Amino acid sequence: MLRIRWSLICPAHPPFGKKQLPSIPKNAVPITKAASPASSTESANGTHASYGPFYLEYSLLAEFTLVIKQRLPGIYVQPSYRSTLMWFGVIFIRHGLYQDGVFKFTVYIPDNFPDGDCPRVIFDTPVFHPLVDSVSGELDVRRAFTKWRRNHNHIWQVLMYARTIFYKINTMDPLNPEAVVLYDKDFQLFKSKVVDSVKLCNSHLFDQPKIDDPFAISFSPWNPAVHEEAKDKMFAYKRLHKDYNKGPLVSGLSWVKPGSTQPFSKEDIPLQT
Amino acid sequence: MTSMVANGTRGDQSLVLKGVDPETCMIVFKNHWAQVVKILEKHDPLRSIVGGLGGGHGLGGGGGLGSFRFGPVPGDEASAVQNYVEHMLFLLMEEECGQNGAMGPILEFVVMENVLERLFIWSLRREFTDDMKLEQLKMYEMLIGQARQPLLHHKPVLKPLMMLLSSCSGSPSGSSSSAVETELVLLLNQLCCVLAKDPSVLELFFHTSEDQGAANFLIFSLLIPFIHREGSVGQQARDALLLIMALSAENHVVAKHIAENTYFCPVLATGLSGLYSSLPTKLDVPSEEWHCLHREDWQQLPALVQFLNSLEFCNAVIQVAHPSTRDQLVGYIHNGFLVPVLAPALHKLTLEEVMTTTAYLDLFIRSISEPALLHTFLSFILLHRHDNVHILDTLVSRINTPFQLGTVSLALFRTLIGLFCEDVMLQLVFKYLIPCNHMMLSQRRVLRERDCYSVSAAKFLALTPSCCSPEVIPPPLRKLDSILWSKGTDGSHIGTMESKEVLSEEDDCGNSCVIGSEIYLDVSYLHYLYDAQNSISHCMRACRVWSAPYDGENPPPEEYQRNTLEEADLTATPGLLELEWDDSYDACPTQLHPEEDQETRPIPDEPPKHIQELRRTAIMIVKGSYIEESEFQNDVMVYNLVAQKDAHDSAAKQEMLDESVTDQKTTNSESSISNGLSSPLDEMDSKKRGSQSNHKSLEGEDLVAQYEELIRTLGAQHSPAKTDSELKSPTDLMDEEEDEIDFNSFSPETPEAEKLPSPFGTKPRSGSRGHAVPFTGPFLSVLLSRLENMPSNSLHVNLLLTGILAQLAAYPQPLLRSFLLNTNMVFQPSVRSLYQVLASVKNQIEQCSANNKDFPELLTAAQHCLLARESSLRGQTDRIKTKPNIQPKTVVPLNKTEVYAAVLFTEFLKELAAFAQEHSILSHLPTEQ
Repeated sequence: MLRIRWSLICPAHPPFGKKQLPSIPKNAVPITKAASPASSTESANGTHASYGPFYLEYSLLAEFTLVIKQRLPGIYVQPSYRSTLMWFGVIFIRHGLYQDGVFKFTVYIPDNFPDGDCPRVIFDTPVFHPLVDSVSGELDVRRAFTKWRRNHNHIWQVLMYARTIFYKINTMDPLNPEAVVLYDKDFQLFKSKVVDSVKLCNSHLFDQPKIDDPFAISFSPWNPAVHEEAKDKMFAYKRLHKDYNKGPLVSGLSWVKPGSTQPFSKEDIPLQT
Repeated sequence: MTSMVANGTRGDQSLVLKGVDPETCMIVFKNHWAQVVKILEKHDPLRSIVGGLGGGHGLGGGGGLGSFRFGPVPGDEASAVQNYVEHMLFLLMEEECGQNGAMGPILEFVVMENVLERLFIWSLRREFTDDMKLEQLKMYEMLIGQARQPLLHHKPVLKPLMMLLSSCSGSPSGSSSSAVETELVLLLNQLCCVLAKDPSVLELFFHTSEDQGAANFLIFSLLIPFIHREGSVGQQARDALLLIMALSAENHVVAKHIAENTYFCPVLATGLSGLYSSLPTKLDVPSEEWHCLHREDWQQLPALVQFLNSLEFCNAVIQVAHPSTRDQLVGYIHNGFLVPVLAPALHKLTLEEVMTTTAYLDLFIRSISEPALLHTFLSFILLHRHDNVHILDTLVSRINTPFQLGTVSLALFRTLIGLFCEDVMLQLVFKYLIPCNHMMLSQRRVLRERDCYSVSAAKFLALTPSCCSPEVIPPPLRKLDSILWSKGTDGSHIGTMESKEVLSEEDDCGNSCVIGSEIYLDVSYLHYLYDAQNSISHCMRACRVWSAPYDGENPPPEEYQRNTLEEADLTATPGLLELEWDDSYDACPTQLHPEEDQETRPIPDEPPKHIQELRRTAIMIVKGSYIEESEFQNDVMVYNLVAQKDAHDSAAKQEMLDESVTDQKTTNSESSISNGLSSPLDEMDSKKRGSQSNHKSLEGEDLVAQYEELIRTLGAQHSPAKTDSELKSPTDLMDEEEDEIDFNSFSPETPEAEKLPSPFGTKPRSGSRGHAVPFTGPFLSVLLSRLENMPSNSLHVNLLLTGILAQLAAYPQPLLRSFLLNTNMVFQPSVRSLYQVLASVKNQIEQCSANNKDFPELLTAAQHCLLARESSLRGQTDRIKTKPNIQPKTVVPLNKTEVYAAVLFTEFLKELAAFAQEHSILSHLPTEQ
């Protein structure tokens, strides 16, 4: 009879595990403190309390889809398993002073996103760079995003910024004054320190991830037994994806001639759509 | 021969033959034949060897004649021949091909000696009874089915076969026994299978039939009479025809022949009309909930089963046939079935008949799948005009009909929307949204923006009535609803109801990330998100074939603001008669000044006949219904609708009640109406009559003029909304301000549009006034107007309505998505948004709750009832799960519609919020490359 769409009050539903958030970070569940208001519309009756985490989750998902859409060169990010507020990332530097550097980092997003501070970016290994704290590895993000503005600022911009600093060195108000001094006074030494830093970072590439998380990014030496198949899949992906899109499963109908708004305006009725 | 064939003893024979060398077989065969020939020649009137017979047609008669002239063949001779032939057939069947596909020696002999034809003539010479035909048919069936070498390539085999078939077609009385028919169709089916495997035989069939002077392609022609036959014979015939259709797709000659020389397409299409005419004109509706024909419904109706079989066959033919056949067939279906049969059926006189036809149409559309056939049905609905009104407009206007016609119409639209057909959506929805007149100019650029932060979802969810808030829901349900969402260290958080741990992890640098907390989350919402994602991505994939994105830029709004749509109007409806009665149901739940409205309407001198007729009968019946249906008397809503119906004169033909109520006091109905409602109704009724009788009077014209003037001075901002507060129950009264702004948008018959002078002196069609007054079209308007009545709608109507809206919400086109789901959009004052309507429903529910102290208990009980309902429905579908059904402690009667509506409304909000959220991430994922 009637299709039952609403599934509330439905104990017959499969256990939670069967239907998870079909989000990009699989299994990642938003776990946050009682989220602070994401909008001014939450009601006092608890509606917001029940759904706030969903809003946050989807705000972050939207940010993540934006990142994907930007196709930032040489940057890969992955939200953590435990919290969508924590993203693991890695930057590949392809030329310039930091050429061949592979820098892992973690993005921490405030739990009142998008109404809080700007996200923080912390490199796993403190890179030798004027804008990176030599102890904590934290990148000075705030200089680019003095105040985080919803709708205007997006996380992909932060990632873009994190990449840019390695191509265009800015020495104003440094987090690492030593680096600036060398940069200004002894550029050769600066360069060699950078090279050392890059080497250091790369030597730690195969270390266990700093944060124990199933989705943390970890590198391992090339092992055909493990990687060959994955590589093939990556290259096959495009084709598969295309086939999937073409799938005969669903097809709508259209007899509207492009550029017209009259129904059945196509001259010849196509046999198949 | 008969006994052998009938007993099917072939297995034994073949064992016997195994190991026997071919030469021996040949000798045996020749010997047998020699014996047979002796007997044959003894009875041959001409003593000639072959072919003393004329054309195939006269064969039956010729046989009879021969037997008279020479006397009957003695029984012992007949059975002797039969015995020899049996053996010969086995030898022939078992013979293998010769070298390089050459004929085996026996076959060669059969061909040389023309054995089969002589045998056929022999059987004609005896009495050619049905039994004899049966024998011959079975003989060929066996030969063709079991021979080890191709036989049909040889004319001496083919020719007698064709003669036999001709004789079957020529039965003068047409009363071949059903046994013969069954065998004939079986043989034809088998021949078609051979054709399908070996198309080269096809040519031979054509040539042979030419020789015979019979209709070309006899096999095909013989099958046609069985197209619409019920049972397995019909099925075999249709299967066989389909094989030929598939052949025709690649063989131009066959295709041409079918299209030009056979009655295949007309028989098929007009057969539909014939079968349709035997369908019940009124259905026994099982319950008030019923709204469409499900399998278990139509399987009870043999006539409907038969119709669907034939329709399915048309669908299959169109799928495989040559384009010329396909085009011809859809043409005949359109001109031979849809227009002459279905269109009038959709405009029958009684509500029940119209409802039944609507349910049939819905079923038909659900039963077909071929684009070309769907094209035919859909273009009929979208473009065909019956009495100058598009079928689509009629159907849309019926959504607002009270009682079951409205529900059935809703179900039809659910089907239509589910086709993901651009043309349908264009006419129903996009046509009105393309010009972007429904929104403020400044909003156009935000049309495509995405809701990054779930603001719209939050706004929808914030409409949750306080009585339904998760906080208020009592513990037993709450447990089911909510889950303590926290993390387990190893990812086993799933399904953990009681994890108290709140972990906060610190990394080396002292950056902490709080990853656990205790928040009750509405787990059911996850399911909505999941469903929304499926639904949207499904829809996005389906819409890839569309011609435009409908994103506010393509098609460009400017281009369609004036010309196109307007043009479409004028050309589409010259001389226009609006749907008088149907429109009366349209939205606008409020008519304070019905007489004004009527006067502004350019009432045509002569409404179409069917409308006049309907009007006459309907008014009578409606009157009668007031008195009889005491059950409805407390239902303000029903009166409301009925009153409008009356007041609008459009009214129409409702047998909303039992047919038993046909006699009464229709003439003096005024006096018979009792119960408080009589006076307004009487008043309207008399006004209506006044307007009807003197709509041409000076007074009337004066009123029109005054009204137009008034409108002019107020401009487009004016809202002629009239509240029918007298008719409404107190709970229906809502925020006046909101109502005032918006009601006119509900009515496709907005006075503003009406009074716009049109160069042709006609009023614009309700369907196309997008440019005149901001208007989102009759379909969206009527849906929203019915939605606004949620608290008084029955449960199943609300399920349908919310289902349709949810389906619409899945469409990814920014024009529609932004209209339904973007709560931040600013629309023109006359345009009512989904959000506004929902807000109004929320208020109504809050009021119900405030006025009824039992409301919370009822709400809980209603949730239990719905739970039980769902689990019982589930039980029907999958029996594997034999979970004990939850029995609701107290059953909330279904007429407590506001209680059920409150539960459903809360769920609907979640559903919409889930759609809004999923759109914000799905619509922006790269889809191509």
